[in-house]
Amino acid sequence: MRALYSPRCWKTTLLLAFLTTVGSVQAYPEFQQHIVKTTGRAVNCALCHANADGPEGTGPGQIGHLTAAEQAELGRARAAFEPGARPNSPILNAFGNHLINSLGKKKFLELRLAPAQLAEALPKDSDLDDDGISDARELPSGTHPFIKSDGDPWLLFQANFKRNFTQIALALAATVSGLWGLGHLLRGFAVATRLKDDEAEDPAH
Amino acid sequence: MKLPETIERTEAYLAERFPVEKMNYASMILKKEVPVHRLSWGYYMGGLALFFFLVQIATGVMLLFYYQPTVSDAHASVEYITEHVPAGALVRNIHAWASSLMIASVMVHLLSAFAMKAFGKPREITWITGVALLGITFAFGFTGYLLPWHQIAVNATKIGLQTIEEIGAYLPGQMATWPKAMKEIIQGEASVGQATLSRFFALHVIILPLSIAGILGIHLLSVQLHGMSQGVDEKPRRMEKFFPTYFLKDLSVWGVAFMVLFILGLCLPFDSLFAYPLFEPFNAKGSTPDGIKPEWYFFWVYYPLELLPFWVIMLGQTVLGVVMMATPWIFKNTNRRTLKVLAVAAGAYLVVMTVFGEKIYHLFKG
Repeated sequence: MRALYSPRCWKTTLLLAFLTTVGSVQAYPEFQQHIVKTTGRAVNCALCHANADGPEGTGPGQIGHLTAAEQAELGRARAAFEPGARPNSPILNAFGNHLINSLGKKKFLELRLAPAQLAEALPKDSDLDDDGISDARELPSGTHPFIKSDGDPWLLFQANFKRNFTQIALALAATVSGLWGLGHLLRGFAVATRLKDDEAEDPAH
Repeated sequence: MKLPETIERTEAYLAERFPVEKMNYASMILKKEVPVHRLSWGYYMGGLALFFFLVQIATGVMLLFYYQPTVSDAHASVEYITEHVPAGALVRNIHAWASSLMIASVMVHLLSAFAMKAFGKPREITWITGVALLGITFAFGFTGYLLPWHQIAVNATKIGLQTIEEIGAYLPGQMATWPKAMKEIIQGEASVGQATLSRFFALHVIILPLSIAGILGIHLLSVQLHGMSQGVDEKPRRMEKFFPTYFLKDLSVWGVAFMVLFILGLCLPFDSLFAYPLFEPFNAKGSTPDGIKPEWYFFWVYYPLELLPFWVIMLGQTVLGVVMMATPWIFKNTNRRTLKVLAVAAGAYLVVMTVFGEKIYHLFKG
């Protein structure tokens, strides 16, 4: 009985408890499947998970690869049933953690039955990759909310054009001025060369 | 024919194509004139291709400072350039956009030169070097595609190299083994790996740039020596001075191209035209992801390859290659009207296969 409460035994019990929980952990492919079906884009687990092959396995960002401290983080993240808990799950990427933080695990699990509503439930002002397209708008179009170069090309163009308007205007002014100056310089060269040629042909003139 | 006679004829042929008496500043710059007519826009396409090539050199050199040509670090170094190097994303994006724009302008240049019969005597060498430049430009695209070492890059390269090997099945006797040997030489090892990346890198940054510089030199020298071709059947209504009039117009076109490229580079990430999982680092243990296909400038041959028997495409490619190289002699007596129709038909085919190739593929394959 005493041996049962020894530190070594506690560790074993905790590990067993963890492995039992791990066995029941699954990614939630309903959202990915819905996005692939509605957009036709190839979307993999890296949309929300740290590893493109999902949470199960022994690769980086997968459960079998976690350190003890990361396992503790995972446990805290799993218990984030209400919004605003700021989870930092090591098996999720920034967008995955943002989802749980914004909705809470409870609401997120409920949405598995209606994956189309996930985007609507997200905060409208959040734009994790700062590409000018909100996460709520990126998700239903199958583009990654955490990759700046991924997004609807036309929306990205509009957002970046607005953002970089000053640089574009300056570049335009520099190009036009440069061409104007170069034009005058080259015309000057041409006139000088012609005068020189005329002089060579007719020195008296 | 005896050897001295052959040498004499070769000398005469080259003397006509590269007249030494015209190799001076006055003939090549000051006295040169450019015809003005409704197809004059075609004269600017070569300069435009040159501009994009110069941009590629400038941006390519910048990328070289950070890019690591190893399978373990290539993708990470590209990510580092994009996310951490000041203006790295802009430089990389301009490099990607300029490569596509360079290929597009080379294609349009070739078609417009064909329609204007710019290959007629004494411009045969200009044409042949132009065709070689198109081939090198495609090779630039193919080798550059692998360098970021992401899913689409490696898998598309594997498919491309596999296609070379498949040619062997249609060749007789000992020749049947040549394509496989060629593939192995390019690939450098059993599968696409470090040796392939090293070879593609060497090709992309050393061998192809040196080749293009040499051939481009001959091409430009030839253009300056013989001037622009007349371009139309009727005598042009007027001529304009190459320097400074045409040269300044050409520079203005470069200015517009620069602004277009700058805006695209700044506002539209090239990667956004693809689905993001394809840009994850290559996973050797994973299966080939969906959506793998070559760059858009290979669609004209890629989709027919998916639809038609392989031998049909190989035969078509061989015929096309021979016809392109022999154009100055095959179309020697063809009038410009016919050439224009052929060029428009070829252009329409390229546009249709590039824009609608996937739809056509699904239409036939379901």
